Amino acid sequence: MLADAAAGLRRNGLMAAAATTTMALALLVAGGGFVVSANLAHLAGTLEAQVEVVGFFRRDVPPAAQERVLAQTVALGGTSAATLVTRAEALRRLQQTYRSMASVPAVLPGNPLPDSIEVRVADPRRIREVAEALRAMEGVEDVVYGAAVVDRVIALTRAVRVAGLVATALLVGCALVIIVNTIRLAVAARRQEIEIMALVGASPGFVRGPFLVEGLLQGAAAALAATVALTAAYLVLAARAAASLPFLPVLAPGAVLPAALAVLWSLGLVVGLGGSEIGLRRYLTA
Amino acid sequence: MIHFDGVGKRYPTGVAALSQVTVRIDPGEFVFLVGPTGSGKSTFLKLIQAIERPTTGRVVVDGDDVGALPAAAVPRLRRRLGVVFQEFKLLPDRTVADNVAFALRVTGTDPVEIGPRVQWALETVGMAPRADDLPARLSGGEQQRVCLARAIVTRPRVVLADEPTGNLDPEAAWEIVQLLARINLRGTTVLVSTHNPTLVDILRRRVIELCAGRIVRDEARGLYQATR
Ligand SMILES: Nc1ncnc2c1ncn2[C@@H]1O[C@H](COP(=O)(O)OP(=O)(O)O)[C@@H](O)[C@H]1O
Ligand SMILES: [Mg+2]
Repeated sequence: MLADAAAGLRRNGLMAAAATTTMALALLVAGGGFVVSANLAHLAGTLEAQVEVVGFFRRDVPPAAQERVLAQTVALGGTSAATLVTRAEALRRLQQTYRSMASVPAVLPGNPLPDSIEVRVADPRRIREVAEALRAMEGVEDVVYGAAVVDRVIALTRAVRVAGLVATALLVGCALVIIVNTIRLAVAARRQEIEIMALVGASPGFVRGPFLVEGLLQGAAAALAATVALTAAYLVLAARAAASLPFLPVLAPGAVLPAALAVLWSLGLVVGLGGSEIGLRRYLTA
Repeated sequence: MIHFDGVGKRYPTGVAALSQVTVRIDPGEFVFLVGPTGSGKSTFLKLIQAIERPTTGRVVVDGDDVGALPAAAVPRLRRRLGVVFQEFKLLPDRTVADNVAFALRVTGTDPVEIGPRVQWALETVGMAPRADDLPARLSGGEQQRVCLARAIVTRPRVVLADEPTGNLDPEAAWEIVQLLARINLRGTTVLVSTHNPTLVDILRRRVIELCAGRIVRDEARGLYQATR
C-alpha cells in the first residue's frame, strides 16, 4: 500500500511537489505565528509581573525633596518596595545592559539621565492609582508604568494571532485545493485499476488506502520541511535576540517548539488526509 | 444460484431497461443471454453484481438478496463472481501474470497462494507461456483468455461474461466459448451474453432471450433464433 502510494506520488510528481510546498509554507506560517504569539504572550506576562512605576524627577530637585517623595509614596500603601535611583546608578545599569553604551560618558558632556524613584506595586490593579499619585507629587516630572506597555503588547499578540490564523487559513485552503487535485489526478490515472478492483470485490478500504496514504505522505513531507525550517529559524533568531536584546524575555526553544510542532504536524496530517478524502469522494462513489 | 423474481429496472433517466423479469438459474448451468442491443442484457448482468439495484422485485444471488445488500457487503458478493468484459479491461502497464494476480492481490488473498493460483488459471486458458508479456503484445483472443484467467483465478461460483466475443474474430470467439464451456464442466455456473448466433447454435445450451427488457424466450437447449 505504501509502495502504491509512492508510485502515485511519482506519477504526479510536479503536482505533488506543488501541493507539498504550499502545504509546507502554510504550516511554516502556522508554526511561526504560534511561536511569535507565544513569545508575545510571554512578554506581556513578564511585563505584568514587573508592575513597576517609575517617577522621574526634574533635574533641580535636591536629594532631600526626593526623600520626601519616597516617604509620601510609601505612605500611600499598596507598594511592596520603593527606592530612589540616582542618575549615576541609572547610567551604570544602562551600560550594563547595552555594551555599546559603555563609551557614552566619553561622548556626552554629562549624564543625560534624570534621578528617579522606582516603585513596585504589590497589586497590579492599583498600579494606575499609584502612578497618578506619584505624578501629582512635588518635583516629579514624568511617570511611566508597565500597564500601557502591557496593553500594547497584548494588543500586538492578538493582532499577530489573527494575522497568523488568517494567513494560515488562506495557505491551508490553497494547499487543500492542490492536494485534492493531486489525488483526483492520481485517481483519474488509475481509474481502470480502481474500476477492476471494485468489480472483483476489493474492499473500499483497499481501494482508498493508497490514496489516503498518498495524501498523508504529502502532509507529513510538508510538516517535516516546516519543522526543519521553523526549528532552525527559531534557534537562530532566539540566539540572536538573546545577544542583542537581552532584556527581551524570549522563550527557550524547548518551551515553545514542541507545542508549535505538534500544532503543525496535526494540521499537516489532517489536511493531507482530508484532501485525499475530498479528492476521492467525487470519483469513488461505487 | 441466481434468482430474479419480478425484477424491474428503471434508470434515473426514465429508461425501463428490464420489466417483470422472473427467472431461475441453477448452480452449474451454462446460460446464453441473447437479444438485440438495448434489450437489457448488460443490465441483467449488472444487477447480479450489485452494480445496479433493481427498482422492483428481488434479485437473489448465491443466497444474498442483492437489492437489499448493504454497501459494505457488496465486495463479498463480487468475490464469488468472476467477470469478463467485451473490452477486456486489462491493465496495460502490467504483465499477463500481474493482471491475473491483481484480482487476488486486491481481495486480500494470502500472498503465498497467489503464484500457484495464477499459474493454474493461466494454464487453464493456455496462456501460461505468455505470463511475462504485456497485454499490448497479445492478440485480441489471447487478451480475452487472460481476462478469463483473471475471472476464474478467485475460484468464483459464477462466471459472468458480457459479450466476451464481441471484439474477436470467429476463431478466437470459438476458443473463448469452448473455454467457458470447460470452466462450466467443473461446476461453475456460467452466464454469457452474446450477439453471436453461430456460437449459440453450436453449443445448444440454455438460451434466455430478452427483448425490450422482457424475457421473450427461455429454452433448455436453444438456438440463437426462436424456432417456430
Ligand atoms: N447507466 C444507464 N443509464 C441510463 N440508461 C441506461 C444505462 N445503462 C443502460 N441504459 C439503457 O437501458 C437499456 C438496456 O441497456 P443494456 O442493459 O445495456 O442493454 P444491452 O446490454 O442488451 O445492449 C437501453 O435502453 C440503455 O440505453
Ligand atoms: Mg450490453
